[in-house]
Amino acid sequence: MTRDLGTGAENTWCPGCGNFGILNAMKKAVPLLEKQGISQEGLVIVGGIGCHGKIMDYLNLTSLYAIHGRGSAVAQGMKLANPELSVIAFGGDGDAYGEGLEHTLFAAKRNSDFTLVVHDNGTYALTTGQFSPTSAVGFKGPSLPKGSVEPPLNPLVLLLEVGASFVARGYAGHIDHLASLLVRAVQHKGFSVIDVLQPSVVFNNSFKEYNALVRELPSPAASVEEAIRLAKVTEYLPIGVFYEVNQPVFHERLYGSWNPVVQRASQIDRRKSLRKMVTP
Amino acid sequence: MKDVFTYLIGGKAGQGIMKAGEVAGNLFSMLKRYSFQVNEYPSLIRGGHNFAIVSSCVKPVFSFYRDADVIVALDRRSYEIHKPHLKPRGLMVVNEGDGEGLGLPIVAESRKYQRSDLIQGVAGVAVLAAFLGVPEQRFQEFLKEAYPKGAEENQAYAQTMYGLTKAKTSPRVVSQGSKPMRNIVGNDAIAMGAAAAGLDCYFSYPMTPTTGILHFFASNADVLRLAVMQPENELAVANMAIGAAFTGARSMVGTSGGGFCLMEEAFSLAGMIEAPVLFVLGQRRGPSTGGPTYTEQADLFFALTPGQGEFPRLVASPGSIEEAFSLAGAMLNLVWRFQTPGILLTEKHLAESSMSVDLDPDHVPWVNPVLYAGSEPYERYRQTPDGISPLAFPPSSQVIKWNSYEHKPNGWTTEDPAEFTSMHEKRRRKQESLVSFLRTQKTVNTYGDGETVLFTFGSTTLSVREAMEYSDLKVQLVQPIFLGPLPVWELEQYRGRRAFTIEQNSTGQLAMLLHDKVGMQITGSILKYDGRPFEPTELAHQIQEVLR
Repeated sequence: MTRDLGTGAENTWCPGCGNFGILNAMKKAVPLLEKQGISQEGLVIVGGIGCHGKIMDYLNLTSLYAIHGRGSAVAQGMKLANPELSVIAFGGDGDAYGEGLEHTLFAAKRNSDFTLVVHDNGTYALTTGQFSPTSAVGFKGPSLPKGSVEPPLNPLVLLLEVGASFVARGYAGHIDHLASLLVRAVQHKGFSVIDVLQPSVVFNNSFKEYNALVRELPSPAASVEEAIRLAKVTEYLPIGVFYEVNQPVFHERLYGSWNPVVQRASQIDRRKSLRKMVTP
Repeated sequence: MKDVFTYLIGGKAGQGIMKAGEVAGNLFSMLKRYSFQVNEYPSLIRGGHNFAIVSSCVKPVFSFYRDADVIVALDRRSYEIHKPHLKPRGLMVVNEGDGEGLGLPIVAESRKYQRSDLIQGVAGVAVLAAFLGVPEQRFQEFLKEAYPKGAEENQAYAQTMYGLTKAKTSPRVVSQGSKPMRNIVGNDAIAMGAAAAGLDCYFSYPMTPTTGILHFFASNADVLRLAVMQPENELAVANMAIGAAFTGARSMVGTSGGGFCLMEEAFSLAGMIEAPVLFVLGQRRGPSTGGPTYTEQADLFFALTPGQGEFPRLVASPGSIEEAFSLAGAMLNLVWRFQTPGILLTEKHLAESSMSVDLDPDHVPWVNPVLYAGSEPYERYRQTPDGISPLAFPPSSQVIKWNSYEHKPNGWTTEDPAEFTSMHEKRRRKQESLVSFLRTQKTVNTYGDGETVLFTFGSTTLSVREAMEYSDLKVQLVQPIFLGPLPVWELEQYRGRRAFTIEQNSTGQLAMLLHDKVGMQITGSILKYDGRPFEPTELAHQIQEVLR
């Protein structure tokens, strides 16, 4: 059954914000996923805190609107408890690469089976435009009026290094391309991440720059080394799937093909096992 | 006076001291005697000074006793430290040349074997068996089961030690009880209680004193059918447990004060989104890193107030290992019934001590939350008279929205003042429902009878009970099992009585709580804050002093 994917909740993103591109790409991706057998009923979305998180209110999907930086941890708990679910965690650059970087890296390292979509706008927009982990040197915001003095993280390089099994970059201005990336990422078995170039029209309006620089990759790189080289390219901005590989997923390595919630032990069996442990 | 037999084994970390203590406890179980075992060890893997004490009796025993009938000192330091605590007719066994008493070639003999350090604990057990007059054949069979690793070496080494002890001492035959015993450590009791209530997922980052719960679940995950995970830190632990609960998994986490500091933001999240998660908070000596392997009860106030904002919460602390088992199950039920976070507050002294207990998994109820019946469109935070909104889990035909922002009944974010107010009121009603429910439950334990009331909580209950029995004290001991909400309705009756608190902290937090919540005038407090549990003979003396 396909639901209306909009909720009708009042949208409070700035007009023209890159977040609309991600919202619209999701609205295109969900029916496509449904065609691939991934039902809306079993699709769960998780959000952190930041402008990106408002997508929880705007998508009529089952969701957990969590706290800053912890979305990937929440998503992994869901998948571990019920591996039948398809889980997409949305995060901002401050959220996924700053406050919650450890969860992002460990999710990639252990190949937890969910999709992380990072609304990467290079600024803390909801708190009025401070520099973020991906802001360029010289980026001016209210906490560093003379400009950022820290070089930015390269999230794709970082995630490729720790072993992410699906790494992509999307652009909020190329909605159909982003929708196809979302479909591929959710279908990927294992950890998948899409770093989405998302201009913030008020605090970091990079639409013009991105429109001139993005170039779609024809196919993923054949090796991690090649993918890392591509992720460091600055003359143009490659978008698409940088790297994709099949690796055993975390929950199956932990407990095999079992499902803790669906195949929960019965009370009778539990009591029987415990009785053996407590009897003299 | 109670006829208690006490055994002490001391040495360096890496000499198998704690294992020997556990096995000594099981040896008493074989003799159908009750026992209580406590370990004291520093935060290191090799060296230092470790010891285990096992006190045993034909009647239930709730504490270790300091003065020992048998002391086995595996090194000189242990001999020096414990020498003053040998009973007049007691047996002191030392490694040859390390002190006065029965000198055995414990170290020299152990060099013949591969696991020469770890095997030395076996000597301690062999000495005890010989001294208690356990026939050698029976002892060897017992030993094979107690130390399955390297059984042949253990057997040969034990034979030598048993033989030497038997030749040089006259046995002290102790009376035997009437029924077989099972010794269980506090952490395992907590784990089994939660499992009996239907636990599905356990998340934990290792931290003394609750690491034992993680190890118990990890080694029993397959037989109990549980998912067990050690994430990257306590932030991940708590948030993963919330994610698991969202899918309907009964989830629990375990930590100590430092780890719980990191879980606070998730604790508040659980309060807001109404996520049922049980947090086991095992107290150890703080502040900060403190004395990581020692006991304390200084996190009572911390456990009562974590997380920003106002939301319903539960805090309960078990006063015995049986209660640790039943309360872990009851708390898992409560957090699901009321969809809010709860804390099972314990401390090193309970978590890592073991005693002879009867646990019955059949008496632990299975978690049974209020579920969405499907008659109207689903609203996660539906307004109800008792504040409890029915739960639904994905996959579902309904849209389920949990939200850390203040929310409308359907889970969308709101900033509307009327909705802010009504959602606070919904959570308040849930708190009131929780209190009404607790009024129908056992929330306070009392022991003994007398004019003066002694209040305590957590594992200090064990120490006070033993002290009361030891000295036949005419006092009434009152132990609130629930500390938040505090069962004021049960405690009011003690107002006006002469009352003292007994606590393992330096400020008397329980006394302050009873004053604030119940209006109790506490005459004084017996406080111990050296990281070591109360010893019953000393505590009995202290109680008699204040009663005067």
